[in-house]
Amino acid sequence: MNEQALALNGLVKDFDGKRAVDQISFTVRKGEILGLLGPNGAGKSTTIRMIMNVIAPDQGTIEILGRPFSEKMKDSIGYLPEERGLYRKMKVMDVLVYLGELKGLRRETIRERGLKLLRQFDLESYEQKKVEELSKGMAQKLQIISTILHEPELLILDEPFSGLDPLNIDLVTRILLEKKKEGVSIILSTHLMEYAEKLVDTVVMIDQGRKVLDGKLAQIKSQYGTKFIRVEYEGDSAFMSGLEYVKSFRDYGREMEIELVDLAHKSRLLEALNARVSLNSFQLTEPSLQHIFIRKVNEGARA
Amino acid sequence: MKLIAVIKKEYREIVKKKSFIISTILTPLIMAAFMFLPVLLMKMGKGEKTIRVADYSGFIYEKMLVNEKATQSEKTAPAKRKADMKGDVFDNDNGAEASKLKFAKIDTAGHSPAELIERNIQAIRAKEIDGFLLIPSTIQKDRKLFYYSGNISDFDTNKYIQAVVRTVVSRQILIAKQINPEIVDEATRDIEFETIKVKKEGTSKSSAGIEYMMSLFMLAILFSILMGYGQLIMRGVLEEKSSRIIEVLISSTDTQHIFYGKIIGIGLAGLTQVAIWFLFALAMMGKFSLGLSSGIMNFLTLEIGIYFVIFFLLGFFMYAILFSIVGAAVNTDQEAQQFAAPISYLLIIPFVMGIMVTQSPNSSVALISSFIPLFTPTLMFMRITVSPPPLAQILSAISLSLLFIAFLAWLGAKIFRVGILMYGKKPSLGEILRWLRYK
Repeated sequence: MNEQALALNGLVKDFDGKRAVDQISFTVRKGEILGLLGPNGAGKSTTIRMIMNVIAPDQGTIEILGRPFSEKMKDSIGYLPEERGLYRKMKVMDVLVYLGELKGLRRETIRERGLKLLRQFDLESYEQKKVEELSKGMAQKLQIISTILHEPELLILDEPFSGLDPLNIDLVTRILLEKKKEGVSIILSTHLMEYAEKLVDTVVMIDQGRKVLDGKLAQIKSQYGTKFIRVEYEGDSAFMSGLEYVKSFRDYGREMEIELVDLAHKSRLLEALNARVSLNSFQLTEPSLQHIFIRKVNEGARA
Repeated sequence: MKLIAVIKKEYREIVKKKSFIISTILTPLIMAAFMFLPVLLMKMGKGEKTIRVADYSGFIYEKMLVNEKATQSEKTAPAKRKADMKGDVFDNDNGAEASKLKFAKIDTAGHSPAELIERNIQAIRAKEIDGFLLIPSTIQKDRKLFYYSGNISDFDTNKYIQAVVRTVVSRQILIAKQINPEIVDEATRDIEFETIKVKKEGTSKSSAGIEYMMSLFMLAILFSILMGYGQLIMRGVLEEKSSRIIEVLISSTDTQHIFYGKIIGIGLAGLTQVAIWFLFALAMMGKFSLGLSSGIMNFLTLEIGIYFVIFFLLGFFMYAILFSIVGAAVNTDQEAQQFAAPISYLLIIPFVMGIMVTQSPNSSVALISSFIPLFTPTLMFMRITVSPPPLAQILSAISLSLLFIAFLAWLGAKIFRVGILMYGKKPSLGEILRWLRYK
């Protein structure tokens, strides 16, 4: 039994002499959510478009569900492209019918499942409305519905959260976890680390076309150690940069993520903070994905 | 199956459009107006005419009037007519003409002809009356009438007046000679004049004029359909490209399905429209054929209709493919218009040449240009309408066009595949050609 939903091997793609994707390899295990992370322009979308056979790689191989790409395979993949668009003049159900038929579904099946999903996504009353009448968030939800309508085994979602409000992000997150439970393998490309952190099992980080990180989220976090302290505070944090036992820190205004040179310095830090600002919380933590992400990207920029 | 899904979607999308419904209804109406207008105008141009009559002979006007009444009551009261006719009325088959003329007698007593002429010329100029008929007292001897009018080239009116007066005068002479009234009736009975036109395409001058107009008109329809659908396809492709939905489509099915499905679907929509027009035309011809001049009837044969559909399809696929390539290659509406312009010129060229082709449909220029696939749909069609070339020529031009379409479809699918995913800067023509080498 093949446990790999997707295997990329040494993918390379050049655009006008510029290397957009450089030797990318990774695998997605069945039933896991893989976060494909990276800054804008890192090559995430290009990689995804190669997986979807939208563009052909210059080098390397792609195996989906244990086989090289074939036309038939398209029916078992759901793809949400980064830039969204739907037929503005078409009715919601007609869009689902068309995109569903292109995935080889029968009209009755589409109607049945479509209605169920529209209900789930709170779009039921828009079934006979034109797409142009939907708000941006609603159109996005509709597109997510069209991506999972044919119950694919592999879901590839390029920035599924952009443009959604927290309520809908929550909804989509729930549905993705449901799909995972059903055994669907999911690739999630995003730069919203907060949400990725809650969802993904495995992380692949890409920067400037190269893979810079690959592994289980839990392992990566522990690899970065537990020398992190998260504080919530009120006041002026300007003094922080003068502390010699602080290796790095990230200030979010009312929250700070602080990396110590040695965890032994934590009581000195607490004293210093207490003296300068009013402290609401102080806790030992793992580095956030965001921190790792920024660090990795900065390392790349220095290199 | 997926190809059919694309065809269905594209077809429905077009057919449900308001512009489709409007143009489907409006075009036959415009066409009908175009065909009926000349007939209608001809009729309207000869509305009721008021003609004043100064009768110095003293007997002609009354008898003219009797005749006129008789003609008008011809259908409603044949018995009465017979009674009225007795003695001094002749039969006139030109009832329609008679009913349009309204005669009014003016008093001649105490007025010289010169005075009346002067006064009535003023009245004609002032458009109070349409004509003035002067019947001199010497008419029986000189056999001369004077008719004043702003329009003296209305032969129907002239001939009618002349015939009526001539008959009245003839009868008067015969009756004065004590000839048996029955013989007088017999001698002065009108002769029916039935006209039968010898029909042969392109021989008579008036018929050629109508054919020329009709063939230009059909060309205009062809041109506007090809342009209209071409633009529609181009915008459709561009919409899919700029909304990036094309990525979803490509990740669902083969690009060729999308490309061919689109063209076939829109082609079927176009065919639907033409079929509706065709049925409309057939129905109209069955109902109103009498109202149309024979030249137009000659022109609109079933044969022409079938050729129209064939050349419509040929032209449609050529230009649909060209326009869809443009839609796939460009990024914005403005760029699309720039690239579409040369294709529009390709459509305008035969339109300009069409005038030459209708005038000399068998010249070598017409012959050669009607074999260039891009022009075949328009120019070969024109040649057929004006002066049908040998069937072998028509068939070989059609085959050549089919080959060209196959080539274009192959080329188009390749360019479409690459172009539809190329975002960013406007591609140059050289770049587009380079896309052909992509795998």
